[in-house]
Amino acid sequence: MIYLDNAATTPMFRDCLSEIEKYSCENFYNASAIYSKGFENFKLLDEQREKLKKKLGVKQGEIIFTSGATEANNLAILGTMRNGDNEYVFSMGEHPSVYNVARNLEEKGNKVKFVSLTEKGQVNYAELEASLSEKTRLISVMYVSNETGAKTDIKRINDIRKRVCPKAIFHVDGVQAFCKIELEIESAEVDVFTLSAHKFHGPKGVGALYVRDKKVLKNINFGGGQEFGYRSGTENLSGIMAMTCAMEKIDVKANYDKVKTLRQILVEVLSQDDSIKILDVEGSPYILSMSFSGVNGETLIRMLENDVVIGLGSACSSKKAGNRILESMSIDKSTIKSSVRISFNAYQTEDEIKDAGEKILSCYKDLKRRVS
Amino acid sequence: MNVLLLKYGELFLKGGNRHLFEKALMNNIKIKLDGYDYKLINTQGRLVIQNYNESLEDEIVDRVAKVFGLIGICRAVEFDSSIDEIKSYVDTIRLEKGKSFKVSVNRADKAFPMISTEFSKILGEVIFNNNDNKVDLYNPDVTVNVDIRFNKKTYIYYKIEKCLGGLPYKTGGKGLLLLSGGIDSPVAGFMMAKRGVEIECLHFHSYPYTSLQAKEKVIKLAKELTAYCDRIKLHVISFTKIQEHIHMNCSSEFMITIMRRIMMRIAERICEKNGLGAIITGESLGQVASQTMQSMTVTNAVIENLPVFRPLVAFDKEDIIEISKQIGCFETSILPYEDCCTVFLPKNPVIKPTVQKAEYEESFLNLELLINEALQEEELIVIENK
Repeated sequence: MIYLDNAATTPMFRDCLSEIEKYSCENFYNASAIYSKGFENFKLLDEQREKLKKKLGVKQGEIIFTSGATEANNLAILGTMRNGDNEYVFSMGEHPSVYNVARNLEEKGNKVKFVSLTEKGQVNYAELEASLSEKTRLISVMYVSNETGAKTDIKRINDIRKRVCPKAIFHVDGVQAFCKIELEIESAEVDVFTLSAHKFHGPKGVGALYVRDKKVLKNINFGGGQEFGYRSGTENLSGIMAMTCAMEKIDVKANYDKVKTLRQILVEVLSQDDSIKILDVEGSPYILSMSFSGVNGETLIRMLENDVVIGLGSACSSKKAGNRILESMSIDKSTIKSSVRISFNAYQTEDEIKDAGEKILSCYKDLKRRVS
Repeated sequence: MNVLLLKYGELFLKGGNRHLFEKALMNNIKIKLDGYDYKLINTQGRLVIQNYNESLEDEIVDRVAKVFGLIGICRAVEFDSSIDEIKSYVDTIRLEKGKSFKVSVNRADKAFPMISTEFSKILGEVIFNNNDNKVDLYNPDVTVNVDIRFNKKTYIYYKIEKCLGGLPYKTGGKGLLLLSGGIDSPVAGFMMAKRGVEIECLHFHSYPYTSLQAKEKVIKLAKELTAYCDRIKLHVISFTKIQEHIHMNCSSEFMITIMRRIMMRIAERICEKNGLGAIITGESLGQVASQTMQSMTVTNAVIENLPVFRPLVAFDKEDIIEISKQIGCFETSILPYEDCCTVFLPKNPVIKPTVQKAEYEESFLNLELLINEALQEEELIVIENK
């Protein structure tokens, strides 16, 4: 079976498993304890923060470890909101862990604006600019779309921000970007950035929020005051160690080139059939959205699953009917119904991908015959 | 002693068979209270649960309230039927200020030495003297019920907690419920179970056109029904190949009509094999194209020997939803997984099919072979109420 749903989650690097064992069974001490074993672990956590900052390419700011991206996104939005005459601006392409928080803000009476996507999955920059004002408190966008792979030009958004609302906080959900593409956090002056370990071969249940200036944040949970008071709860040392272990193994540039080749191979194989339409977005090579005319994407996924595992879109929202993101790109209903998402990791081989492409082609042909 | 006094309804109508219904009712209560310590006695017209752990009373009431055939549960105090004993208990009753009351004596045991009206008056006076509350015989806030039974015991209680009514489960034959995964079919199953019909379920799935989650959802719905039916056998039939053959060989507007006729044929075969006496569906007249009178006629035409019960035929959707919520199936029913009826859905399904046309369309299929193959691959899942 060939796994091509790496945007949902990636297999953990086996080499990093030992970190989980080591920091759960041997060096398991509570990093907030006052004795030296605990304090050593506290220092270890700080070292991991520095490693993360280096990988993020940032010079200043702080890392707050969380239980994953959902918690980090919640903290980024709810932790930066303030009472008063403020406005919050999001793109329509956001992951549910941002979008649903935004909707919740709106339900509570806050002024929230959603910016539409273009047909190519990009944030509509003109509309974004028109949505901003001096009252804008937060701009939150996704770096790489988990559905389409479209990459947001965060430097351009920063330019608009500086022009219209220089005080607004800029949050970027970087879950599908971190360890996958070259980041521009520093040059785009991103204030808050979300990442999640299991998307880059780390363990599930660990993530982080980078914040340039902690003063913009307030804690949203209450407890022992860990993570500088912004995220109470005993630090997940073993998970964090495994996360940085995975991160350090990744050569972003080499992986990017490799995945670009893998993607090209798959596109070439699937291009043999004209009724397969690849969604043309400028973005990350890791994610490919495509439609298989005349069949239901879900059915194709289930028919294929013994040979090739592909995804429907965001696994986090597959319990909900419809597809908000493709709909907001003005894609017609029948194309949405026949859409699937294919996502790669850099440790797959060219032969594997070629084989997967042929299996997808033959399965599609078979399904088309059965339903036509 | 605190006891639970259980009242049952229509069983009274059953004359010579009454003891059989009572036995079934007691047996169903025992199944529902499996694992609890208690004693269950029958006192002609009432069942009494005694000697239970009082800290678990709410749990016991909750479980017993789901036993079909009962109309009410009363949390009561039990005494020997002696005037003095009853009076001395009533003497301790203190009512909440401002609440009107009445005493209602029911003297089932005619050997009791005082008639109901006279005894009500005496007990009412005792309460009146001890409390600063008004008597209201027509619309009292509090009714002190005094139930004098044949077993020389008297039960005093204030409130009757309403139960589901109906007839004891498994006293009305066995039926096969077509369980799709939507809102209607579990409600139909519940309603027939309430009339004493033992329920088995039949589900058609169309993997890979429908998901494993859709099948799991149906298993969950069947599990939710076990709260009333204790144990359910779920027959699962793969419908994929049949649907593909209909799709390839028949006119698209007849897709659903032919599907339903084949489902009915399969249902009848399963009934015959398993000794089930009826097919039950959640159809409601006019709800969708396949539920018109003509569609039902065409669907029914393939059934040779069994009745098809459609307990929801005259129900509005809102009413069905209301029951679905009451029985705890609604949340599961609305999970957004496609069922096999939505696969290959034609744009314009035929609303007024005829038997002749349906038979003509079916002539392009090798029905016997398709049905036999589907039946051979039947999966049986037994779902316990645990």
